[in-house]
Amino acid sequence: MTDFALTTPSVLLLLPLALLPLVVSAQRPQSYPSIDDLEIDPLSVALDWALRIAGAIAIAALILGIGGLHRLGRTIEKTGEGAHMVLLIDRSSSMDNTFAGRAPEGGEESKSAAARRLLKDFILRRDHDLLGVAAFSTSPMHVLPMTDHKGAVVAAIDAMDRSGLAFTNVGRGLALALDMQEADTSPAARVILLVSDGAAVIDRKVQETLRAAFARRPINLYWLFLRTEGTPGISTVPGPGEEDTPQAMPERHLDKFFKSLGTSYRAFEAENPEAVAEAIAEISKLERSPITYHERIPHDDLKARCFAVALAALLVLLAARLAEVRLVPATEET
Amino acid sequence: MRERLQDARFWALLAALALTCLALALPRVTLTRDVYDVLAVVDITGSMNTRDMALSGQPVSRIDAAKAALERLLADLPCQSRLGLGIFTERRSFLLFNPIEVCENFAPLETAIQELDWRMAWEGDSMVAKGFYHAITIAEDLKADLVFVTDGHEAPPLPGGGTMLPEFEGTPGKVKGILLGVGGRDKVPLPKFDDEGHEVGTYTADEVPQENRTGAPPPDAHLRPGYHPKWAPFGTDPPSGDEHLTSVRSAYLDTLAASVGFGHVDLVDAPDLLGAISEHARTRPVEVAVDIRPIPAALALALLVGLYAVPFFTARLRMPARRSTASAPPLGAAALRP
Repeated sequence: MTDFALTTPSVLLLLPLALLPLVVSAQRPQSYPSIDDLEIDPLSVALDWALRIAGAIAIAALILGIGGLHRLGRTIEKTGEGAHMVLLIDRSSSMDNTFAGRAPEGGEESKSAAARRLLKDFILRRDHDLLGVAAFSTSPMHVLPMTDHKGAVVAAIDAMDRSGLAFTNVGRGLALALDMQEADTSPAARVILLVSDGAAVIDRKVQETLRAAFARRPINLYWLFLRTEGTPGISTVPGPGEEDTPQAMPERHLDKFFKSLGTSYRAFEAENPEAVAEAIAEISKLERSPITYHERIPHDDLKARCFAVALAALLVLLAARLAEVRLVPATEET
Repeated sequence: MRERLQDARFWALLAALALTCLALALPRVTLTRDVYDVLAVVDITGSMNTRDMALSGQPVSRIDAAKAALERLLADLPCQSRLGLGIFTERRSFLLFNPIEVCENFAPLETAIQELDWRMAWEGDSMVAKGFYHAITIAEDLKADLVFVTDGHEAPPLPGGGTMLPEFEGTPGKVKGILLGVGGRDKVPLPKFDDEGHEVGTYTADEVPQENRTGAPPPDAHLRPGYHPKWAPFGTDPPSGDEHLTSVRSAYLDTLAASVGFGHVDLVDAPDLLGAISEHARTRPVEVAVDIRPIPAALALALLVGLYAVPFFTARLRMPARRSTASAPPLGAAALRP
């Protein structure tokens, strides 16, 4: 019962006016020679009080209606399927190219535009997820905290195909995504979805930090790798005479590092928008753990109900007024 | 019946009833209100760490003061306004998210503002004018107006003795908005950080570039000692200056704002940010549903209260003359007895 509220609480100062009918009657006072010989009968007393109370109710209901009585919007906990997910988005400038590795022309879609379209579609279909957004290029950037406001997440995804920056600091980006996951203490399933079109060497020191953080709690890691045609992929094995170092083949080694984390990890290598769509559908299928989510119940305007109560009380008063009978001829009209 | 028609109380009650019916039946009225679409871009370069601002008596860094100002702006913006967020460092602005509605998304917006951090920066350079012009092109693309928050500390200094603004490629006046200067009026040393992000003292005069010697020399260069138009166009003295000291560069920000038709206010003057925005930014009219039902309800209330209060006063006034009045009320009810 504590969730009732007034838009203008100051109207409560007027509320004592509702006591007025209890003190004075609005029925017409009538002159009568003497009431000494009239017995006090219970029906009259009851009717008198009923009318007074009707007056009080009418005044109080009008005051509450004017003050904008409403029931507060609430959030209720429900159980559904979903996860707490951090989208970790690569904003390096190579994302501006198409899958074929050129600047988009004609009807072509750049990699980030394709990823953006499909990701938006994905999050809008995931009803109960809590989503956070982080970005990285040369440095990690906190974009949006964990939120269930899909509109905000869509706005952050919309920003992703805008002029990226040069480098890909994936290690620090992951550290930020892990921080965001750790700040949230609910028992829901954790997901980090890394969307990038390349990889980079992760500093040894950062590697150790990441390993420790992933060991602390289970986090499902997905890597959506938007591969440019003809560039080395995750599963490219170095040919004879080629160097097998993180510097020479960052994708292969980043994948190896992720596999060594001992966390649930899957990589999706997508060379075209269709493959991205498939990968996203797959992730959507995999992330179906039970989750408690909050559903907002909008605030309920009770003004109309206040006015209806006031109207009912007024009808009672009017009925009483119509039933009034003059006992003696009027000598003086009030 | 006739008496009833002459009875003012009857009419008052009937009117109150009718007004209450009206309150129940009235639809919402749509009014037009002006809202804003704003992109806020915050300078997060090194100089923004200078602690020469104050928040409720405590010294805070410029970036914290800027965040507090943006949080206040977020709270002040009328509903259905949209706010986007970006950061500026090096020479370009970076959009974090497109403008979103401020009331519905208040919580994530507030946290996103609070999480702005200089550690997001990727270069030590701070080419304010370039970043500002870049932010304007982003805002133009988003059809939003711009609030660019900076201390105006160019590092390295602008060429030509700090007077040559880079070329603005857009159309001045197409995007409107304000430059919000952050920083104290007095010059203070710039704080210095190591690679790990720990503060390690302040910069000295020879650790920062004092003059930009690319491009054309300033017009007064020929007065410098050792000047030679070809071999020493900037003179022979090592550059000197106080670029290692920082304060809000109000005069520079004025020039910069004027170059693109923006307004300029400084946060130290505790400006009314929304007021400044409404003065310089474009508005977008939106229709809002306004509930006008309380108006007839208030009239009904006034009538009803009057109905009860009037006899209260008249009875008191008349008490000595008409004793019976005071004892009359129960009779009204008694008359109903069958």
